[in-house]
Amino acid sequence: MSEKGGKGSSLLSKGSLKGKDDSATKSSKGRRVQFSKEAGPFESGITSAGSPASGGKGEFSRGGKGDKVANGKAKTPSDPGVDQKLPENVKCIMDCEAADILQGIQEQMVMLSRDSTIKIPISFDKGMHYATSNSKYSDPESVRRVLQPLKGHGFSDNEICMIANLCPETADEVFALVPSVKDKESTSQILKDSLHQLAKLKQF
Amino acid sequence: MFFHIVLERNMQLHPRYFGRNLRDNLVSKLMKDVEGTCSGRHGFVVAVTGIENIGKGLIRDGTGFVTFPVKYQCVVFRPFKGEILEAVVTMVNKMGFFAEAGPVQIFVSNHLIPDDMEFQSGDMPNYTTSDGSVKIQKDSEVRLKIIGTRVDATEIFCIGTIKDDFLGVINDPATA
Repeated sequence: MSEKGGKGSSLLSKGSLKGKDDSATKSSKGRRVQFSKEAGPFESGITSAGSPASGGKGEFSRGGKGDKVANGKAKTPSDPGVDQKLPENVKCIMDCEAADILQGIQEQMVMLSRDSTIKIPISFDKGMHYATSNSKYSDPESVRRVLQPLKGHGFSDNEICMIANLCPETADEVFALVPSVKDKESTSQILKDSLHQLAKLKQF
Repeated sequence: MFFHIVLERNMQLHPRYFGRNLRDNLVSKLMKDVEGTCSGRHGFVVAVTGIENIGKGLIRDGTGFVTFPVKYQCVVFRPFKGEILEAVVTMVNKMGFFAEAGPVQIFVSNHLIPDDMEFQSGDMPNYTTSDGSVKIQKDSEVRLKIIGTRVDATEIFCIGTIKDDFLGVINDPATA
C-alpha cells in the first residue's frame, strides 16, 4: 500500500527525501546516522553517506565548540529560517489549538477503545499529553487575535506559532529564539505590545 | 511543532467490507493504518481529524480487492532543526540527558550543556551548576533547541542543545 502525498506532500518531498532515505538504508556499512546541518522543517535530516554537504562529524564538532554559538555572534550562513520549505497547504498550529483538537478526538477514541481490536496509538497519548501540558492559553482564538498584527509586519505563520508556544517575555528573547525574525528588529515595539497582551492571556 | 496537513493514501479494501458500511470501514481502516505512524516527511501522525475526499474505487486485477484513493486531514508532530521545544527529562547520564517532547525523543550531549554544569552521579543522577542553583534531573522541564534530526522506521530522534541564550531548565521537580 503506497502512501501518495497530496499536494502538500509532493511539495514536502522536493524529490530529495526518497533518495536520502534509500541511501541511508542501503548503505553497505549499515545505517550511517548523520545530522543534516541544512535540514529545513520538512527534511528528514538523513543525508547520503557520500554527500559532501553532510555535516555528520562537523555537526558534533561544531556542537563541541559550542562557545561560538553560545555567544550568539557566529551567524552560520546556512542556518535556515523556521518556515523554510513549508508547502502551502500545511498549516502550523499552536500547542493550545492542537490540545483542543486532540481533546475533541479523545472522546471518540474512548468509545473506540471499547473495541478490543482497536488500540489507541502511543503517539496520540504522548502528543495529547504534550499539547495539554504545554498549552499556556485557554482560548486559542484570543491568542491568534493578539498576534494578528505581527502578520502584517512580515511574520510568518510558523514564526507566530513559535512565539505563541514559547510565550517569551521580551522582544530580545524572541530575536534570540527565533533567528528568522532577527531582520525584523524594526518591529520590536509592536512585538513588545503583542507579548504584553499575550502575557495577560497566559494561564498559570 | 504540530501541523495540520492534508495527506492522500491508497486504501485497499477486501470485498467482505463492501456494503452500506463501506465508507465507515474504509475510514476505520485508514485510522488503524495511519495513526501512530511516523515518516520523515510528515513526522508523527498523531490523529486523523477528517476525511476530505474518497475517490472512486479501482478493482485490482487478479484479486477482488478494491483500491480507494483517500484524502484526509490529520494532525502531525514534526520537529525540525532550529526549533525551540520544551521537553521533559527522562534520563540523565554522564554522556548527557534524554528528554521527551510528545512522541519525539531528544538527546542533549554533555558537550551541549553549559560548561558550568557538572554531572553528579548517585541515586538521582543530575547536572548541577557549581553553586547548586540550577539542576537538571529526571522529570525536569527544559527548554532546548533542536540541532539535528534522525528518522527511523517508527520514530524520530533528535539532538538538542541548551547551550544557547534563553535555553535551559524551566521547572525543577525538586523545588516545585
